[in-house]
Amino acid sequence: MTDWTRVADEGDVTEGEPFPTEIDGVEIALYRMEGDILAMGDICTHEHVRLSTGWFEDGRIECPLHQSCFEVRTGKCVPGGPAWQDVPVYAVKIKDGEIYVKASS
Amino acid sequence: MTTAAIETPPAKCWPEDGITRVPAWIYSDPDIYAREMQTFHYGKTWNFVGLDCEVPEPGSFKRSWVGERPVIMVRDHDGTINVVENRCAHRGSLICWETRGKARDLSCPYHHWSYDLKGNLMGLPFLRGAQGKGGMPRGFDKSQHGLTRLRVAVRGGTVWATYSEDTLSFEEYTGPEILERLDRLVSRRPLRLVGYSRQMVKSNWKLYWENSRDPYHATLMHPFLSTFGILRTDGDYHSVPLEGGKHEYTYSQFDPELRNRTSEASQQIKSISNDLKIQDTEVVTSVIDEFNDGMMGAFQLFPTVLVQQYFNCLVVRHMIPKGPGAHELAWTYFGYADDDEKMRELRLKQSNLVGPAGFVSLEDSEVLSLMQPVVESRPDSQQVLEMGGHGTGAQSTMMTETLIRAFYEFYRREMKL
Ligand code: FES
Ligand code: FES
Ligand SMILES: [Fe+2]
Repeated sequence: MTDWTRVADEGDVTEGEPFPTEIDGVEIALYRMEGDILAMGDICTHEHVRLSTGWFEDGRIECPLHQSCFEVRTGKCVPGGPAWQDVPVYAVKIKDGEIYVKASS
Repeated sequence: MTTAAIETPPAKCWPEDGITRVPAWIYSDPDIYAREMQTFHYGKTWNFVGLDCEVPEPGSFKRSWVGERPVIMVRDHDGTINVVENRCAHRGSLICWETRGKARDLSCPYHHWSYDLKGNLMGLPFLRGAQGKGGMPRGFDKSQHGLTRLRVAVRGGTVWATYSEDTLSFEEYTGPEILERLDRLVSRRPLRLVGYSRQMVKSNWKLYWENSRDPYHATLMHPFLSTFGILRTDGDYHSVPLEGGKHEYTYSQFDPELRNRTSEASQQIKSISNDLKIQDTEVVTSVIDEFNDGMMGAFQLFPTVLVQQYFNCLVVRHMIPKGPGAHELAWTYFGYADDDEKMRELRLKQSNLVGPAGFVSLEDSEVLSLMQPVVESRPDSQQVLEMGGHGTGAQSTMMTETLIRAFYEFYRREMKL
């Protein structure tokens, strides 16, 4: 089953600005970084809050509630905050100026 | 001008007769009470907070109190036990509302500041504001805004906390005799929680503190004791003040023959009414000498607990002050992890002896609650403590108030009264 889902146009996602969206009720966020488009789960693993409302800097998204940080390229939780589990990342492809994400990671 | 003498508040000056008298104003005066909290509970003392078996796993927590201040006893991820104030470093909200439970971290319900199990502030919502507005100043340093953390001592299965950096080590604080008695009950085998009782007593905490140093009342006010031969004036009994009156212990060798004997002394006591009956006699007759010393007794570890062994009922009475005129009694019953079925049942059965409705303790809180308004109505009156003479030495009798005198010797020294 190849479940690529179209989530946005390429121009929707700008450098330094998380782009929140969802696939079948699963909240994700898109990031533009170093020329790539990345897709990461958008719910903090500490409490239930959207990470994309937090602070994006140096390849990391900082949770707005308690400042847990996650690497957007890998989903890795950076030690030091209250969260201790990683968030999922998803495969991305761009076709004809449209962004597709494979929901089953 | 001649003002009536009766309107003059009693001078806060200890009566001339010294420790054979206790002035009633110490049971109601708010300044004295505030000074007690500072000097004792928040000072250089070790306060009971709980048993290690109450927080069995990493993240397990239990609410407790040190003086009037709520605290949280919590087992950290590495297995050590921390005690932190249950007071948010932001605006002072009560963080933990549950009596016991399990958590990954400590989160305040008011503005969701989040702390780790050591009390370090890990994060706070909208540190950087929202939509570029509001938020904390740039220089806000999370490491300066953790929960107040207390020093902790663990002895066997018991957990203690102190606010003061200057408190002696736990072992020095208790002294060797109390330590030995504590170890006998809590350090030889891992503990098992049997259960809890809690009650509010509307009396000054010292009235209860005195009460558990008062063997004189035991056979008189608690007919259960003498009727079923648990404690009688003609039995073996020792009252031993320790560490300058700070702690004490009492004990007796249990005598299974005593309840069949009627001696001169027991006949003199009116309250021995021999028509009291008990349905299930196992409560008093079935005793396993689990420490192989035939001993039964209790000790006070100042300023928070009486640790007591009644046959096979083991219990900590935790006295939690709630203002000058009230305190809470939290009873924690315990046994051992390797207790067999028979012992488990026996401990449960014998836990009926003590607690808010205990066969040998229900009278205490009743009498003291009725006593409080009386002492408040006459702050200028005095208690008389002359049973067993005027001294503060150990005595091998129940007919003595030496333990209470010893306590007030200690108390006056510490309170500078
Ligand atoms: S909700 Fe994300 S760090 Fe607490
Ligand atoms: S009072 Fe606890 S977060 Fe504000
Ligand atoms: Fe009593």
